[in-house]
Amino acid sequence: MTDWSSLAPAVGAAFLASLVEVVEAFTIVLAVATVRGLRPAVTGTLAALAVLAATVLVLGPLLERVPIEALQLVIGILLLLFGLGWLRKAALRAGGVIALHDEEAIFARERAGLEAAVQGETSGNRARSLDWIAGITAFKAVLLEGLEVVFIVIAVGAGRGMLAPAALGALAACALVLTVGALMHKPLSRVPENTLKFGVGVMLSAFGVFWTGEGLGVAWPGHDLALLVLAVLFLGAGLLAASLARRISTEAAR
Amino acid sequence: MSILAEVLAELFGMFLADIRLTAAILALVAGVAAAMHWGAIGSLTGGGALLAGCLVLVIASVVLAARAASR
Repeated sequence: MTDWSSLAPAVGAAFLASLVEVVEAFTIVLAVATVRGLRPAVTGTLAALAVLAATVLVLGPLLERVPIEALQLVIGILLLLFGLGWLRKAALRAGGVIALHDEEAIFARERAGLEAAVQGETSGNRARSLDWIAGITAFKAVLLEGLEVVFIVIAVGAGRGMLAPAALGALAACALVLTVGALMHKPLSRVPENTLKFGVGVMLSAFGVFWTGEGLGVAWPGHDLALLVLAVLFLGAGLLAASLARRISTEAAR
Repeated sequence: MSILAEVLAELFGMFLADIRLTAAILALVAGVAAAMHWGAIGSLTGGGALLAGCLVLVIASVVLAARAASR
């Protein structure tokens, strides 16, 4: 039976991870819309969503054919690689070793790049080629960020047959970002992206250890509740790592 | 073609952000799997070793990166 202890971590991880990725994609799509209008932004976005939907439609039935232990092991290892990578980067950001993610700066950079392309274009088919460049920019942003969303939804959902709830968590994040973004019409820089990334790294790492263990035949005490304990331990490790990183960079600066 | 290359680079970067961390994680999983398979450790000890190994790896990886950045 699927209860809240199984459902909440999967839906929560899919929602938070998707929130981060959709905010990043939204910033670039908004830059495209600001410079070249809604048409190329919407066309590029819809084309990327179609490619992502096709990917899910192809992968979904294939995953159902894979034995659950093998699926848990493969997805668990991929989640470990992905989740620990995110947690490492988030701890380095929190420790002041690498720069924080800044949506305003990314928006300004993308906008400047597109405006430079507008000024540099002098051919007869100027408007059409500029729309093409803008559309491709939106397409790439949504496709590249969307690939991570697709992986996360599959990874946290497929191991226990919870693809649909995880996908709903991701869709809720998309709806939230699009609604708030449409109302504000500017980059969502007040979303605490770096904190969210830290939290998502913690949750994906916990899922990674959980699925990898299950794939290897580990019977976790407390079953799905073990995920919460794993998440608390990874949170502690991430905070400790960030504090050590801050101390090292402070001592080096003296 | 450039979009395909960027997609592949994105997929590559998703799982291989830091090559030493990636290699260490794969070695840890392989070690725990082998120890459990040959009966050297039980199921619960295997889970504990996997968890402890991952916690140590993420802290060590951050400390090493911070030291490298501060040089």
